[in-house]
Amino acid sequence: MSQKTEISLEKQGDIMVFDIQKDVTALSDAIFSKAYQDADNQGTKKILLKFYEDAYINSGGIAILIQLLAKTRKNNQSICIVGLSEHFKKIFNMVGITKFAKIYTTMDDAMDDLAG
Amino acid sequence: MEQLFLCYIFKGLSESQFQLLSEITKEEHIPKGEVLIREDQKAEALFILKEGKVELLTSVNDSFELPIAILRNPGDCVGMSSFVAPYKYSLSARCVKDAQILIIKQTALEKLMQKDHKLGCIMMKNIAQHLLARLKETRQEMRIHFKTFFQSMHP
Repeated sequence: MSQKTEISLEKQGDIMVFDIQKDVTALSDAIFSKAYQDADNQGTKKILLKFYEDAYINSGGIAILIQLLAKTRKNNQSICIVGLSEHFKKIFNMVGITKFAKIYTTMDDAMDDLAG
Repeated sequence: MEQLFLCYIFKGLSESQFQLLSEITKEEHIPKGEVLIREDQKAEALFILKEGKVELLTSVNDSFELPIAILRNPGDCVGMSSFVAPYKYSLSARCVKDAQILIIKQTALEKLMQKDHKLGCIMMKNIAQHLLARLKETRQEMRIHFKTFFQSMHP
């Protein structure tokens, strides 16, 4: 049912963009850990998680994102999210993710905030 | 009804067995927003996606439903609880995009399985394989929660 996650990292200035394609589930743990490790090894202090409208994030995916937020908090990194559908914006708000990561509708808004 | 061929539950069935299945299958249009099944309700049918999108959810409390999966490929299905006691749906399903759904009533399928034990055996093997994969994924999810919990307890 689910489509395997793909993440590519793209550095834009001092911001590391996680370009996240397809679904995020508990089985995406290894790919997220590797992407975060790669970003962290490069001394990243600002992270932007970029999703696509068609992305599906289930309960396991939410657990992975909470784990990632905990790591960024521990390592004093800023993190923002962009590209979520209204459905997932509502869910992220309800599970408390928005307390630790701001959610933006456009890349420009997210980049501006992180750059500021 | 070629979407039946794509459903993992029916993988390995013969042409004649698919013919018997298609005879007990009905097709329905389900509009966006409509709830197909509700968690804990009596499980009476299996639903196979022909087109559209259906989200699977579990209720955390009255105001919040946790996303479990999305059916978006032809042949994706929900309702395997209709094969296994206590015959209650373990999650809810809502159409998030207008959908064409193939529906097989549990009573009709049960009769078919009684008549053709080989068909029943193949289906149950496929269901067991799928459930094991789901169990593995759920254990992985538990691991992630515990990791986060332990890290927060021992910073």
